Amino acid sequence: MVSAFTRILANHHELVHFNVDGVDCVAPAGEPLATSLLAAGYLMLRQSPNQHTPRGAFCLMGVCQECAIHVDGQIAQACMTPVRAGMDVQLRGVV
Amino acid sequence: MSRSSPHDFDVLVLGGGPAGMVSAITASQHGLSVGLIDEQAEAGGQIWRAPWAASSGKDASPEVRDGHKMRETLARSNVSCLFGRRIWSVTDQYRVEVLGADGVETYQAPHLIVALGAHERVIPFPGWTLPGVMGLAAATIMLKAHGLAPPKDWVLAGVGPLLAAVAAGYARKGHPPKAIIDLSGPSDWLATLPSLASRPGLFKQGVGWVVSILSSRIPIYFRHAIRRAEGQDRIAACVIGPVDQDGHRVAGPELSLDCDALMIGNGLVPGGEVPRLLGANQVYQHELGGWIPDCDRYGRTSLKHLYAIGDGAGIRGGAVACSAGQLAGLAVAHDAGFIDAASFARQSVQPLTENQKLAAFSAAMAHMIRLRPAQVASISPEAVICRCEDVTRQDLVCAAKAGARDVNQLKHFTRCGMGPCQGRMCGDIAAEILAQEHQVSRQAVGYWTARPPLRPISLQSMLGRFEYSDIPIPKPAPL
Amino acid sequence: MSTLHDLIVIGGGINGATTALFAARGGMDVVVVDRGPLCREASGVNAGTLTMQMTRVALIPYALRAHQMWATAREWLGHDVGVVVCDGLSLAFTEQEAELLTFRAGKRREAGAPITLITGQQALQIEPGLSDKALLAGHCRVDGYANAYLTGLAFRTALLDAGVTLMENNPATDIQQTSSGFEVVTNQGPVRAKRVVIAGGVWIEEMMGWLGIDLPIKTLVNQLAVTERIPTAMRTVVGIANGLLSLKQYHHGTVVIGGGWQGVGSRDGGACSLLPERLVGNIRLACHAIPALKNARLARAWTGFEAETRDALPAVGPIPGITNAYVIGSIHSGYTSGPYLAKLLADQILGREPDLPLFPIDRLLTPEPHAQG
Repeated sequence: MVSAFTRILANHHELVHFNVDGVDCVAPAGEPLATSLLAAGYLMLRQSPNQHTPRGAFCLMGVCQECAIHVDGQIAQACMTPVRAGMDVQLRGVV
Repeated sequence: MSRSSPHDFDVLVLGGGPAGMVSAITASQHGLSVGLIDEQAEAGGQIWRAPWAASSGKDASPEVRDGHKMRETLARSNVSCLFGRRIWSVTDQYRVEVLGADGVETYQAPHLIVALGAHERVIPFPGWTLPGVMGLAAATIMLKAHGLAPPKDWVLAGVGPLLAAVAAGYARKGHPPKAIIDLSGPSDWLATLPSLASRPGLFKQGVGWVVSILSSRIPIYFRHAIRRAEGQDRIAACVIGPVDQDGHRVAGPELSLDCDALMIGNGLVPGGEVPRLLGANQVYQHELGGWIPDCDRYGRTSLKHLYAIGDGAGIRGGAVACSAGQLAGLAVAHDAGFIDAASFARQSVQPLTENQKLAAFSAAMAHMIRLRPAQVASISPEAVICRCEDVTRQDLVCAAKAGARDVNQLKHFTRCGMGPCQGRMCGDIAAEILAQEHQVSRQAVGYWTARPPLRPISLQSMLGRFEYSDIPIPKPAPL
Repeated sequence: MSTLHDLIVIGGGINGATTALFAARGGMDVVVVDRGPLCREASGVNAGTLTMQMTRVALIPYALRAHQMWATAREWLGHDVGVVVCDGLSLAFTEQEAELLTFRAGKRREAGAPITLITGQQALQIEPGLSDKALLAGHCRVDGYANAYLTGLAFRTALLDAGVTLMENNPATDIQQTSSGFEVVTNQGPVRAKRVVIAGGVWIEEMMGWLGIDLPIKTLVNQLAVTERIPTAMRTVVGIANGLLSLKQYHHGTVVIGGGWQGVGSRDGGACSLLPERLVGNIRLACHAIPALKNARLARAWTGFEAETRDALPAVGPIPGITNAYVIGSIHSGYTSGPYLAKLLADQILGREPDLPLFPIDRLLTPEPHAQG
């Protein structure tokens, strides 16, 4: 995908499939979901609940909450959620 | 939330970065039973974050090597590692509530060492909420732990040594930023040189960064800052402009740089929520990053048997965190009666001396990444300050004019800081804006009252399995 | 010599601020002193519920009038405190609770609260977010909530507009009786007034002591919690029969979970803390009532003080034996009823006959009938 984040290291982890808004994605198992989404070109993850402006991962360390999206039906911080095979990811925030 | 005994350990250590790891190991070496809690799956914190994608091979940085070494020491120690657990409540008598893979757990110890680190400060500008704008610390994590580079056209901005480290790191991997926007000027960098005299290793590392950056021919805009970012659903360009050494906007041409990502960081803010929650005395230390618990040189806070160390107790960096960890580990061993005063004094000499040696360097770095009030004064009215609630600078200024004089009142007036990040992203900046509006000190506007949960947790995860009849409903209110 | 005000109010919460507002509008020169900013203790951190179903029976006539005041706050206060008037439901999940609810709702109805008993199924029609486990519900159309954290801003603006002198962040430490009235010792110096109102929330016991009056006040440490913004999960105020749950979702999406589960702490300073197991209990109860809350994340929990006299009824009226000195506080469900009681007190201070009787404290100054030794 154009202007996605690029993987710059050979990765020895097993690759697994998961889906993002119904689209099949591949990433190393156990990688933080936020990182996998950046590599897959998904920068916008949700809208802010008040003004509905686009938001994406920001701090990658569990602080900012910008990457809190729906994972298997539950709100989860993508930067703190390891990728698992078959994971169902919806790019929408709480509201 | 069942527990076997009231005290699970002699000491609990919160946070598995350098300070937490070293203090846990030290206390354990002196015979204390230690529980070390961290949210990550592995110890290391941010600076020693375990490389997840990369091998720890020959090109590993000194931090990566140090981190591996300490993780090995930790693994050989008797410290009980309680990783993958989100701390959500800490109450008196040092009872710690965590959320792990198996739900809610409780741990308790008569002594508590808090080493929960810092979070990044980013000075807001219009457009900083656009996808593709990310923190400098996030860039470090992608570089060090996950082997991920930003898209081809990316811009690096902010202040401090992390700027150079990230630029050089990505340059070496063949993904240099298209420009570096540095608030500092060459003179600021040169001013740090004397303090590096005591740190030959770091000096060498710094020289390496400079070589990498120069050989990549990355344009560097010294004394510049980001004015705004533009784009629809993600960043498409950033506009930079000249500033003076304090961050004041100064006259000069603005320049628009097309980009797909912007990595920016303006220093670190100590994350002192736990000592605050427990009611430990706080002091505002501008050069150490902001509000920190009032501690002695062993990390003892104003509360009995509560210790605070590492960047969460003042921004001093990873090297100081290690000796601070040793000192706190020794202090706990002494205060808990595991070593006598003489032994404590004797063993403290080396880490105290080490801290003294590091002081000049750590102060120089902290100074470089300090908050520049003028930079906050230059934030545009329309810039969002509180990302969670979309509260702008203008909203905060209006609230100040309506009579909000302390940050908690400001929060009530505007909802700034009421969102799920719990005020971590906006707190330092909102307080600075309020202080400037009233022309008073940061002490006068205070700090957010710390509240549980320390991080948002889902109600589902707190519930556990229960029947209605299990709920211990107190007796009815009077009729 | 400093100004001699007509009235000094010590304590700028709902009670003090409303008393001050109506006294000022009645023509008095009023000063309010508070140790912090206005409405930053109980008045700013409570759950904001405006309900009859948790109000003490003796207070129902007051609460009904107070509810009307809240509903028209824009008119008399002039500023928005986010008041929403909506249906309220008090639930019973067990036979025992149903019995309790039937009895309590009956007593409150006798006192004038328009509460009817409906089945769980009927309650589900009123509140689709409700669990299907409720057996019985008390339903009241006179219910709703305000946004407690907006109270300070609203009253601050209203008081300034009414010409009240505000002395925030200025703790009072003593009251001297003088020939012209009272001199209140504050950090910023003495403040003089012909009349004094003690409206210091859980701290009125200490303040009454300055006048030589012993009025024991019990301090409750209520735990509260709020979720982050979530999609609409409920549209009513939901409680349970014994009063230990209050739930409502604000227009911006956050759900406040209250009910008076007790944390630990004292009014004498130091940090108050929540008891995690009680927070969990409160949350279990909340999710039992509104199952969709399970998906929400807890954003913040906190504690707020509530003052209680020995009979859990208000202390509102003149202070016996001291001319021109008054007290107002310890109003159970005080956020709901406070404004009306304060308006009554202001009437009395202004020399008007209050529409309903106050709650004089004489009853609380004699030894407790069954007190031990």
